[in-house]
Amino acid sequence: MIRCIDITKDYAIHRGRRRVLDHVSFDLERGQKLGVLGRNGAGKSTLIRIIGGVEMPTAGEIQRNMTTSWPLAFGGAFQGSLSGIDNLRFICRIYDLDYLETRAFVDDFAELGRQLGEPVKTYSSGMRARLAFALTIAIEFECYLIDEVIMVGDSRFTRRCKEELFEKRADRSIILVSHDMNFISEVCDSAAVISNSHFHVCDTVPEAIAFHERN
Amino acid sequence: MQSLRQLFMLQGRVIWALMMRELHTRYGRENIGYLWMVGEPIMFCAGVAIVWTSIRAPYEHGLPMTAFVITGYVPLTMWRHCVGRAVKAFEANGGLLFHRQVTPLDLIASRVVLEVVGSLIAGALVMFGAMLLGFMDPPQDLGLIYVGLAYHIAFCLACALLIAALSERSDLLEKVISVFMYLSLPISGAFTMVSWIPEHYRWILLLSPSVQDCEMIRGGEFGPQSHPIFSYTYTASVTGVLLLIGLSLTLRSRRFIVVN
Repeated sequence: MIRCIDITKDYAIHRGRRRVLDHVSFDLERGQKLGVLGRNGAGKSTLIRIIGGVEMPTAGEIQRNMTTSWPLAFGGAFQGSLSGIDNLRFICRIYDLDYLETRAFVDDFAELGRQLGEPVKTYSSGMRARLAFALTIAIEFECYLIDEVIMVGDSRFTRRCKEELFEKRADRSIILVSHDMNFISEVCDSAAVISNSHFHVCDTVPEAIAFHERN
Repeated sequence: MQSLRQLFMLQGRVIWALMMRELHTRYGRENIGYLWMVGEPIMFCAGVAIVWTSIRAPYEHGLPMTAFVITGYVPLTMWRHCVGRAVKAFEANGGLLFHRQVTPLDLIASRVVLEVVGSLIAGALVMFGAMLLGFMDPPQDLGLIYVGLAYHIAFCLACALLIAALSERSDLLEKVISVFMYLSLPISGAFTMVSWIPEHYRWILLLSPSVQDCEMIRGGEFGPQSHPIFSYTYTASVTGVLLLIGLSLTLRSRRFIVVN
């Protein structure tokens, strides 16, 4: 289970501070798939980064009783100047994974071919997403944090993502941030909306979508 | 949950991974690659040793010039590289903190290990070279050299931790650090021995742990006739306090680092 207790996040702005998240509390159960909705800048990515441990909350606490992935998003996780292979090696070393096995999985999933030997900064956003996704699921986390990234790929990539994540790893927890309502209602079993820095947990996914659209 | 031993092994793996990554980004895989880690300080040490040996008197205050330069430059390069690499280290490598097991302390530790190992290997090679060519005599007391180096490594780590944490919090520090490093050369101990200056002023030099470390290293190379002046307890306590402050600031710096 992941438990967020009174997470509050303030950002310093030109004059004073802006509260992005205000006393966010919720539990994520094992196997739960939570969709997070909200308008641009509502704090969805911030919340997912705080849960992933990339950002520190201004106040509050996260209790993680599951191994949790890093936030799978457009940026982060990679060193642009290093090649895909060197990034892969680094991740294998810090997560204690077998290099050859992981390499084979990433080759098969990301389908980057020779491009894997080139610096990551030369990749297109779709290629970067494929590599990031392949590396994240190569590590068997109990909870995956996904920030939009599946949606950048082509239909083949989206299909394979669904297959790997929602079929083969159906027992894992997922927090998914997306603007794609169809996708959320297809894969999530619960949903919440962030609006005016408050976190509203809804009973069902359609209810959350309705709430989000009224906003 | 994880035992303490597993946690230490995890951090060991992280530091190792960071070192390999740093070697790749800094030197790439072209020509001699990793070997530049040693090649760079060798060129510096050997270059300075050759220039000083050829343009200055063969002896200064009764000490042979080549050995004097090498015993001073190795600790100096080690310190300069450690501090130089620590400035804004968190900003430059912030992306790595994306992975929860990577901590600010790991970032500094990996860089310090690389710089220390690089300058030690370079120092040893230059020393052997100078000895083979007859410009330097073997050390009188190898043990004292090791003690001095150990103290100096601890001092370099402490400075790197302090500078990394402080430069993250203040942009001013980042701007004045190169001036500070240059002005601190006289109290680095690289160019003088304490016994060369009037007794009245010696205490000023002896305040600096770096000077004390150099005295130990030179005492080991030249033996008692070089009149090294140092105190184990003073150096240990000052270095220890600096290390504690540096550690505490670094461990608390995570909150100030913005990861993109």
